[in-house]
Amino acid sequence: MGEAVKQGKTIIIDPVTRIEGHSKITLHLDEDGAVEEARFHVTQFRGFEKFCEGRPFYEMPSLMARICGICPVSHLIASAKACDALLAVRIPPTAEKLRRIFGLAQVVQSHALSLFHLSSPDLLLGMDADPGKSNIFGVAEENPELARDGIRLRQFGQEIIERLGGKRIHPAWIVPGGVSEPLTETNRDAILSAIPDALRIVERTLEWFKGRMEHFREEIASFGNFPTMFMGIVKQDNGLTFYDGKIRIIDAAGKVVADALDPTRYFDYIGEKVEPWSYMKSTYYKPVGFPDGIYRVGPLARLNVADRCGTPRADQELAEFHELQRTAVLSSFHYHHARLVEMLYCVERMEQVLNDSEILSPRVRAVARPNALEGVGACEAPRGTLFHHYKIDEQGLIRWCNLVIATGHNNLAMNRSILQVAKHFVRGNHLTPGMLNRVEAVIRTYDPCLSCSTHALGQMALRVELLSPSGELLDQVERTG
Amino acid sequence: MPRVLIVAYGNRLRSDDGVGWIVAGDLRQRLASPEVEILQLTQLLPEVAESISHANTVIFVDASCDGEPGELHCRQLTPPPAKAQFSHQLTPAELLGVAGRLYGATPQAFCVSLTGECFEHGEELSESVAGRLPQLASKVEQLTKEVLAGPLATLPSSQEAEAAS
Repeated sequence: MGEAVKQGKTIIIDPVTRIEGHSKITLHLDEDGAVEEARFHVTQFRGFEKFCEGRPFYEMPSLMARICGICPVSHLIASAKACDALLAVRIPPTAEKLRRIFGLAQVVQSHALSLFHLSSPDLLLGMDADPGKSNIFGVAEENPELARDGIRLRQFGQEIIERLGGKRIHPAWIVPGGVSEPLTETNRDAILSAIPDALRIVERTLEWFKGRMEHFREEIASFGNFPTMFMGIVKQDNGLTFYDGKIRIIDAAGKVVADALDPTRYFDYIGEKVEPWSYMKSTYYKPVGFPDGIYRVGPLARLNVADRCGTPRADQELAEFHELQRTAVLSSFHYHHARLVEMLYCVERMEQVLNDSEILSPRVRAVARPNALEGVGACEAPRGTLFHHYKIDEQGLIRWCNLVIATGHNNLAMNRSILQVAKHFVRGNHLTPGMLNRVEAVIRTYDPCLSCSTHALGQMALRVELLSPSGELLDQVERTG
Repeated sequence: MPRVLIVAYGNRLRSDDGVGWIVAGDLRQRLASPEVEILQLTQLLPEVAESISHANTVIFVDASCDGEPGELHCRQLTPPPAKAQFSHQLTPAELLGVAGRLYGATPQAFCVSLTGECFEHGEELSESVAGRLPQLASKVEQLTKEVLAGPLATLPSSQEAEAAS
């Protein structure tokens, strides 16, 4: 991991701030001071695939939820679906609907965290703003309504998760075979009553965001604006979904590369590669190979592969989103925009599902013994397609586990995006906070979730050093903790 | 609307860091009242600012790294004049600042903390901290009852007052 840092001129950004998890970026300069290589290093190691071996399969949803403090629900869903496959059961329809609501609520709170808490300082104050103001305090001073809206939307999602799952973080409500408790009428009505306010907030923020886009033309042109494929799960009618469906892959021109792929056969078409300089695996589309099989997942990809949302307001916004580019929408800057459209869809879709006549049914769990020794569960997490793949023995103990995490799908694209931004904005031997921030900001567009361990000891400091080939300090930018 | 909001926070899986969570369970019984609300949180996030803005007084309960293990501290908080550098987590004083800026309300606030000895992985408290749990609970209870008895502009002289930085 440290080898490349010792060769040539190297700029190290460590840690990358305002993302979920711990990472660093290295930029490698040539003799003229131009950026020739860039790498995104994930410096933490989690090891869930290994230490769950030997555990009873029915513990997996709760164990896997511990992977992440922001999107535990996605891991719960993917894990429970893998366990459903081990049980070889079809879960009750109401349980599936309740899982959908749970997942949609999580997408809202996760997207709100990314957009309002982590990226809105850049979007509101600009990429060259005083680093001391690029935080929630700066946003609160400049646009308090925006800051309040972010808090309210997060609360909206978290309160639904708490109402359904009993707690906001690491709820264990989703279980193999369905969910542990049915929805009460009180909780349904409480969630429904909060929906109009959530819709107003998302629509207000969408209008604000669209008005801000003209200030970021250079960033739109250079933030991960290159051709790749895009992958996501879509419904059978090619509509947007987060819970279940088929895998669809399109190319940069918007043409379908593969359709109706079975998510439980992901290993037939997705390859995984380990790089020596990062703990995060890179995935690629097998028929094209590594690294040309690069593709993106997450909000931008989902809106690129989906033909429709299936809810009225989100469908209008999706049509407008598709107008951004005649081909697939390529710039990763538009992840922000896509996140807002998805939040709109999630709130509308929740209302539809909550009004389903069977939503209060007490039949929410299928009970069975293991009937298969291998199971795959897949869903769309806030950051992209998520796969959980387990193998068990006759006693129901986990013998093998593979997790393909959403952020890993974007690893190749994130690295290429950093290089594009650095080549465009980094000049010679002089570093500026604005340059540094743009290199970080392009990573934030993907909203990577690296840690999943949300506790942090102390505050993070940031120092970027520009070293000569001989190790001489040429310049540095420091952000105190 | 609670007159006193108690925010007990920390990581229950990091030994003494979970002291706030543990004492909160005891406080729920001691301070059962519609005028008292108790939150148990893993970390302080901006969302808490709204709840803070609705209270007359906020008491944060946490583990501390400062001082000798088992030391009990109580200090009054004021919003920091400077802006936070990092939005991933907030201090109690910074949360007060957010509440003031976004919701126009900055209640009086205190932080009651117990200095921890061990913050490694684990659900057990160290002896030096476990032995002082009754004192921690009593301190929070006493402070809450004093607040409920009438306005409390500053900390009583018998308690350590320290401006938050």
